[in-house]
Amino acid sequence: MNMLIRIVFAALLVVPIGGISRADSGDAASAIRAEIEAIRSSYESRILELESRIAKIEEGETSTNGSTVLANTTTQRKVFGRDFNPSIGVVLNGRFARFTEDTGEIPGFGIGHEGERGREGVGISHSELNFSANVDDKFFGSLTAALVREDGEDKVELEEAYIQTLPGLGLFEGLTVKAGRALWTLGYLNEHHVHTDDFADRPLPYRVFLNGIFNDDGVEVSYLLPTDFYSEIGGGVFRGDDFPFGGSDGEGIDAWSLFARVGGDIGENQNWRLGGSLLSGKAYGGRNTEEGAQSFVGDTDLYVADLRYTWAPTGNPKTSELILQGEYFWRDEKGTYADSEEGTGAVAFDDTLEGWYAQAVYKFKPQWRLGLRYGQLDQPDVPLGLVGSSFDSQGFEPSTFSAMLDWTNSEFSRMRIQFNRENLASGYSDDQFIFQYIMSFGAHGAHKY
Amino acid sequence: MYRTVGIFLSIFLCTTLLRSPSRAEEPVRVFACEPEWAALVSEVGGEKVKVFSATTARQNPHYVRARPSMLAKIRKAELLVCSGASLEVGWLPILLRRGSADIQRNKLGHLMAADFVETIEKPDRLDRSLGDMHAEGNPHVHLNPFNILLVAEEIHKRLGLIDVGGKAFYQQRYNQFESRWREAIPVWEKKAETIRAKVVIPHHKNMSYMFEWLGLESTLALEDKPGIPPRMSHLKQLITTFGDNKPHLIVRTPYEPSKPSQWLSDKISVPEKVLPYTIGGDVHSEDLFSLYDRMIDLLVN
Repeated sequence: MNMLIRIVFAALLVVPIGGISRADSGDAASAIRAEIEAIRSSYESRILELESRIAKIEEGETSTNGSTVLANTTTQRKVFGRDFNPSIGVVLNGRFARFTEDTGEIPGFGIGHEGERGREGVGISHSELNFSANVDDKFFGSLTAALVREDGEDKVELEEAYIQTLPGLGLFEGLTVKAGRALWTLGYLNEHHVHTDDFADRPLPYRVFLNGIFNDDGVEVSYLLPTDFYSEIGGGVFRGDDFPFGGSDGEGIDAWSLFARVGGDIGENQNWRLGGSLLSGKAYGGRNTEEGAQSFVGDTDLYVADLRYTWAPTGNPKTSELILQGEYFWRDEKGTYADSEEGTGAVAFDDTLEGWYAQAVYKFKPQWRLGLRYGQLDQPDVPLGLVGSSFDSQGFEPSTFSAMLDWTNSEFSRMRIQFNRENLASGYSDDQFIFQYIMSFGAHGAHKY
Repeated sequence: MYRTVGIFLSIFLCTTLLRSPSRAEEPVRVFACEPEWAALVSEVGGEKVKVFSATTARQNPHYVRARPSMLAKIRKAELLVCSGASLEVGWLPILLRRGSADIQRNKLGHLMAADFVETIEKPDRLDRSLGDMHAEGNPHVHLNPFNILLVAEEIHKRLGLIDVGGKAFYQQRYNQFESRWREAIPVWEKKAETIRAKVVIPHHKNMSYMFEWLGLESTLALEDKPGIPPRMSHLKQLITTFGDNKPHLIVRTPYEPSKPSQWLSDKISVPEKVLPYTIGGDVHSEDLFSLYDRMIDLLVN
């Protein structure tokens, strides 16, 4: 490059000097001419040399044999795309909600704040800011901050901050390690950001068993098996601070997970995915809810089975698509529950609890989708010491029914109306109306499978 | 504590052991994002390649979703051939992160067609109120036959480097393809002479490369803004824009809805046609030659 600049510079000098010299006469002129000639011939030989080097490169006669580099191939045109480093994406999410009941509590289950029904009236919910990029050839990094309104204050919640190994690291093929805080692999929905959900709120079991999402701090390893169909296994170890755990002192690993998933196509129009996960851990410091009034201390094992099936004519979801999705949760807990407001003291508990949801979303026009969802929890057994406390469901099995209609203008904007009927306690039926918008700008997102 | 150390140790062992890249008589595993690239790789690679096409002619390549089955294929791919220029931006990046090391960006196995051709219709300004703009230009590069040559040249070089033993084989097949293709180009150009300078309206600007090559005029589309379905107000506007200077044809791909083009076709009495767009777009379009034959036949007649 440097050489080229010098050549061009010399050429620029030579031209005007040549012009002036013609006006001169005598010895001085011929001396200058000779000098110019010398410069010219010297540079001409250099240019020739450079040209031959270029030709050699083009023929692929470079020193390396091009085993892993692109030396032998045509020079790539520089493409300056929207593929900035890092890619920055913003999701704006707002809603209007009306509820017929005054409270959205689910007595008997000790749910966390994110498991509740959200604010009534006009308000923004869950605005997200995402930065992600390949850190280098070996690592990918992503950070997602959610700006939320909680207890009358605007708060920043660090939803994700993780690094992930790229194939360039040269791990055993198919193996990936993710570390930091992330929406960990668990069931179907947990990995997905809330703004990509097909409904305005999370299904009932997610609200109760995971407080919306499980994004503890930890490390997860996953291995994509070398099978012809999709199959993946993995597991993680976590700090044990996030719901359903809590109060980890950081000594040792308080929570861990295992998962296995398979999936594939059926012809051109259909595809499916089936998964099973186990999340296990201790809440020795206590899983506290209701501002610490309720607490659980002990071991929790959560088993999740998930199934998702999509059907799109000719496999073209842009025009029309049907998505069926369901997840089943089974929780086994052993420890003590305490409700300080009712003064129950620590009551021993050793029991299981089930919950599930199923949903169908149909795109009947390229921009319009209709969805139905049903979620249900089984009634937990109430030990004698908890009767009458906030952990007493009074034998009621909560259920929710939801219907939604959404309109998608482009890949970047969506509006939705949703109706929920939530039967969460005996003699209680909450009819909810929600209008929601979700818009994103910045990087063109790629959605998970 | 020991458990944590054990986990990290086992990860480390996995990284250092069990890596043995050796190529026997197995075909080169190719992951093509679209059928046109699958076809081109087959032209050059013959029986020495095993090609998987992630999409079909009936699927909009920008809007398909990453499917679990694609993961299984990309994990083992040795060569990735896609259009690039953000066409696959909604699904390829997440697949690529789990893909094999050989096909990552800047590796021999990573080939984006748009990086090797001159793209057209680059936007002056990036603003999504104008639709889903691709800064890199129009990504549907396969409908200009000269682009096919540029990409074919690159494919044969890459195949020859991935499978060194087959280098002469790929070279020979590439030479054959190139000469056949170069013979075909003037025939197509001659055939399309009769429609030179005529106006064509596509649903979306995904056939611009062919129109530009053949000297057809195509500045307007049924989609007012790329990526946003045609709006009635815009379709009505088109009727007044054209007035008595009726366009030659209204065209769309097999994956686009028929209603907007049929509506406009009825209103202005201009025929509307489904062009195959890529391999498998109709029964006639079995390979790149027959695809071009068919596209031009439909445009001319």
